[in-house]
Amino acid sequence: MTADSHKDVLIAVYMFEDLAEKDFNAVLKLAEEKTITVEGVVLVQKDPDGEMHVTETGDHLGRRGAKAGGGAGLLIGLLAPPMLAATAVGAVAGAGMGKLAKHKLEKGIAEKMETALPNGAGAVIAVYDTDGADTVGKALANEVRTSVATIDGLSPKQLKAGLAEAQAGMAGS
Amino acid sequence: MSDQAIDRTTLPIRRPAFQGVENQTLGGSQPDWAQIEHVKAPAGAPNVLVVLIDDAGFGNPSTFGGPIDTPNFTRMAEQGLRYNRFHVTAMCSPTRAALLTGRNHHAVGMGGIPEFSGGFQGYSAMLPKDAAPFPKVLRENGYSTACVGKWHLTPEREQGPAGPFDHWPSGWGFDYYWGFLAPEAGQFDTMIAENQKFIGVQEGKGGKPFYFPEAMTDEAIDWLHGVRGHDAEKPWCLYYSTGCSHAPHHVGPEWSNKYKGKFDEGWDKLREQTLERQKALGVVPEDTELTPRDDAMPAWDSLNENSKRLFARQMEVYAGYSENADHHVGRLLDAIEEMGELEDTLVIWIWGDNGASLEGTPTGTFNEGTMVNGLPLTDEEQMQLAFKWGGLEAWGSEMMYPHYSTAWAWAGNTPFRWGKQVASHLGGTRNPLVVHLPGRVRDSGGLRSQFTHVTDIGPTILDVVGIPQPTHVDGVAQQPMTGVTFATSLGDAGVADAHTQQYFENFGNRAMYKDGWWLSMRMPRVPWRLDPEMLQTFAPGVWNPDDDPVELYYLPDDFSQAHDLAAGNPEKVKELQTLFWEEAEKYHVKPLLAGFSPFFGILPPLGANTVSTYYGDVQNIAPGLVPRVYNHSYTISADLYVPEGGAEGVIVADASHLGGFSLFVQDGKLKHTYAFLGVFEYHQESDKPLPVGDVNVELVFAADAPKPATPGEVTLFVNGERVGGGRIEHTVPFGFSGYAGMDIGRDNGLVVDRRYADKAPFVFTGTVKKVVFDVAPHFDADDEHALHEHASQADTARGIRA
Repeated sequence: MTADSHKDVLIAVYMFEDLAEKDFNAVLKLAEEKTITVEGVVLVQKDPDGEMHVTETGDHLGRRGAKAGGGAGLLIGLLAPPMLAATAVGAVAGAGMGKLAKHKLEKGIAEKMETALPNGAGAVIAVYDTDGADTVGKALANEVRTSVATIDGLSPKQLKAGLAEAQAGMAGS
Repeated sequence: MSDQAIDRTTLPIRRPAFQGVENQTLGGSQPDWAQIEHVKAPAGAPNVLVVLIDDAGFGNPSTFGGPIDTPNFTRMAEQGLRYNRFHVTAMCSPTRAALLTGRNHHAVGMGGIPEFSGGFQGYSAMLPKDAAPFPKVLRENGYSTACVGKWHLTPEREQGPAGPFDHWPSGWGFDYYWGFLAPEAGQFDTMIAENQKFIGVQEGKGGKPFYFPEAMTDEAIDWLHGVRGHDAEKPWCLYYSTGCSHAPHHVGPEWSNKYKGKFDEGWDKLREQTLERQKALGVVPEDTELTPRDDAMPAWDSLNENSKRLFARQMEVYAGYSENADHHVGRLLDAIEEMGELEDTLVIWIWGDNGASLEGTPTGTFNEGTMVNGLPLTDEEQMQLAFKWGGLEAWGSEMMYPHYSTAWAWAGNTPFRWGKQVASHLGGTRNPLVVHLPGRVRDSGGLRSQFTHVTDIGPTILDVVGIPQPTHVDGVAQQPMTGVTFATSLGDAGVADAHTQQYFENFGNRAMYKDGWWLSMRMPRVPWRLDPEMLQTFAPGVWNPDDDPVELYYLPDDFSQAHDLAAGNPEKVKELQTLFWEEAEKYHVKPLLAGFSPFFGILPPLGANTVSTYYGDVQNIAPGLVPRVYNHSYTISADLYVPEGGAEGVIVADASHLGGFSLFVQDGKLKHTYAFLGVFEYHQESDKPLPVGDVNVELVFAADAPKPATPGEVTLFVNGERVGGGRIEHTVPFGFSGYAGMDIGRDNGLVVDRRYADKAPFVFTGTVKKVVFDVAPHFDADDEHALHEHASQADTARGIRA
C-alpha cells in the first residue's frame, strides 16, 4: 500500500443546512475540476422538523445524484437505509446502494448521524485522497466541526471502519 | 383611631390605650373594640405595584423605541408617564437594595452582591436595621405586602433552613414571597422558595410544562385574589420582579420565532434604527447622537456567515423572552383591572435594573457558566458546543444556559455606551421607567425628563400613599432615605429636578452627577473578564483610581454622552472628583473594590466545618450551601439500604448536565457522572452490581494538586472494596450553577446525566440513610489558604453576573 492510496473519510457538520450545501458544492467543484481526487461526497440535511435527508451526492467526476457512482454510492449505502427512507433524492438506487445494503453496515452509522445533527443542521461526508486534505479543508468554509479518519482502501469494510472512526471523533469526549 | 391620631413616624405603630372598663366581672365592664383592630393605611391610599425587569436596556422595549414588542409597557405609558432620565446602579442587587430601601446601595451594605458578604460596611450584603425598606413601612402602616419573582438580596450562606431569616423577603417587609433567591434561574427548572423555605422545582399546570414567568404571574394573581377575598378594602403592595431578561435566556419558540429575521442586519444597524424610533417617539431629544462602538465589540460586517446567523438567533431568543415578560405583566394588569383596582393602583414599572448585560462575552455563550468559571471559549468552540446541545433550535431551551453576545447588550442600551456593571456610563445606569396613577397624572402618555434615581422610588411611594418616612423602626433610629420624591412631577411636567446630585459606583466603575454634569470614571476592565491577570492591575498599591481616565458630559445638552468635555473643563472635573470622594465617605463606598476583596487576598474567616452530613432525602440545597467540591480532594460517602431485587436511582446529585455531578445506581451498578460545564462529561462505574441489604458506597476524588480546576482521580468503593474509577481531566473551579440545587435520593430539575433524563428525577428505589461530604482532606496550611481564597473569589464571580 502506498501513501498515494490513502483516503480520508471526512465528516463535517454544519449549524445551517444551506451552508452545508454550499460546502458540498465546493467539494464537488474540486472533483469536477480534478483539483484533487474525490471518491465521493454526500450532503446530509436534517430539516427543521427533524427529518433526515441525503439530499445530494457526487462522485469523482463531480457528477451529481443519479449520475454518481463509485465512492458516492458506497457512502450512500453506508448511511442507508434509515436515512434513505426519508430521502428526497430519487436517484440513489442507481448509485450502487443495492450492492452495499447487504453488508448490513448502515443502521448504526446513520442513526448516530441522526442523533448528532440538530434540526436544521447539515453534514457533508466526503472521501478523497489524503493528499488533498488541505484543499478540502479550505473548501469547507462554513463547517462547525470536522472529523477525519484515514483508510487504506475503498472496500466496504474499510469505508465502514473509516466512517465509524470519523463518527467517533465527532462525538468528542 | 383616626388618621390624624396615628403617629406613623415610629414603627410598629403602638396599640391605642384601652378606653373601656374592666371590672372584676363582666358586670359593668365595657369593651374597647379598638384593641382588636389593625392599623389602617391612610384613607384613599392606593395599591402599589412595582414591576422590575432584569438585565435589560434603555433601547430594548418598543415603548422606548426598541425592537422588542412591549404592548403592555406601552399601555401603561400611554395611560401614565414615561420617564426618560431614570437611573439605576448598574448592578442587580445594589439596584434592588436601593429600590426597596430608598437609600444608596452602599449605605445599606449592598455595594456588592449577596454571594459574597464582605467585611466592610458598604459590602456586607446585610441589610442594616436602621434602613427599613418601604415594603416594611407599608406593612406596618396597614398594607398587605408580597414579593413574587427574583429576589437576590439574601446572603448566600443564609439560604437554608437554619437561617437566620432577617434577610429573606419576610425580613424586608413582605408578608408573602414566592420566587427564587438566586441571582438568576432557569425558567423551566426554577428552584422555588416560598416564604422561608425552598419548595424546589415545580410542576406545570394544566398539563403544560412549568415556565417561571407564567407561574410567578399565576402566584401573584392568586395572592391578590386571596387578599381581596379576605379583606375588601385593605390596600396591597406587590413587588413583581421577573427573572427575565437575565440569562439563561429561556423561552419557547412560539415567542422567539416571532422575531425570525428581524436582527439579520446586525447590531450596528439595530442601533441606528432604534435611535430613529426613539427620536420619533420623543423619548430622546431630536439632537441625540449615537455614541460610537467600542473596540471590544466586533463590527457586524466583520463576522462570518455562521456567526451572523447564530448571533441573530441569540437576539431573536432574547427578544421573544423579553416580550413574553411583557405579556405576563399584562396578564397581571388585566387581573388587577378585573378586580376593579387598576385605577387605584400606583404602577411603577422599571425596564431593567442595570442596563442590558454585557456578560455573554463577545461571542455569546451556550452556557453562561463557562464565563463565570473563567473558561475562555473561542467563537468556533461556542459554535461547536451550541451544536452539541441542539443547535439553533435549542438556543432558548432548557438544554442550554444561553446568553447573547456582548454587542447585542450594547445595542440594547442604545443610544448609550457600555451596559451592566459599568456605572460610569449611561448604558449601565439609565433605564426606562413608566409610572401609572390615573388620579394624579393629568397628561396621560406624557414624558418626564427630570433626573430621577432608583432611590427615589421608595420616597415617592410613601409620598403618594401619604405615609411619612419613619424616624424609628423596631426601636432603631433610621437613616434618612437618600432618594427624593418625584411625586410632584406626576402632575407637573415642568417641575424642577428634585434629585440634583448622585454618585454611582459598582465594582470600581464610578460616576458623579451634579446639576446636569456627569463625570465618568471607568476602570479599564471589560465586564466579562474576571481573570486574575486582569484583576491584578487593580490590586492595592497598583491601582490609583484617580489615575483612571475621566470623561465629562453635560447631560442637558448631551442626552447620550456623546461629547466628552473633560479636556476643556478641568475645574469641573476636579470638583466632581472631590465630590465623589465626599459621597464615598458618607455612604461607605470606600474602600473601592471591597466587593472584589477575595481577589486581593482579603478573605472572610476560614470556616471550621468541613464535613456536611445529610440524613434522609434532603432536597433543594441552595448553591451557596452545597459542600464545596471544587479545586481539591473530597469524599462522598453514603449509607444505603438496597432491597431484595436491587435498587436504582440517584444517591446524590448537584445541578445539571451543564455543570454538576451525580452519584447514582443504574443497571445494578454504582455510577458517577461529572459534567464539566456542558463541555466534557466524565463517567465512572462499578465493575460489579451492588449487593443487597445495608451497603456503604463511597466516592473519593483525589486531586492531582489542591489548585483551581485541578484534574484528579475518582475511585468508587462499595463496602470498602474498590469497584471502579477513572480520571477527570477538567474540573469546575468556581461553581456548577447559579441557581440549581443539590438533592439527596433524587435529581430534581434538569438532571446531571441525560442518560437517565427519561426517568427524572430518578428517585432512589432503596433507602438513602445518610450522605456525608468531607471536603477538607488533609491540606497543609498554605494549600488551605490558597483554596479558601479561591473559594471566596468564586463566590464573588458567581454573583457578579447577577
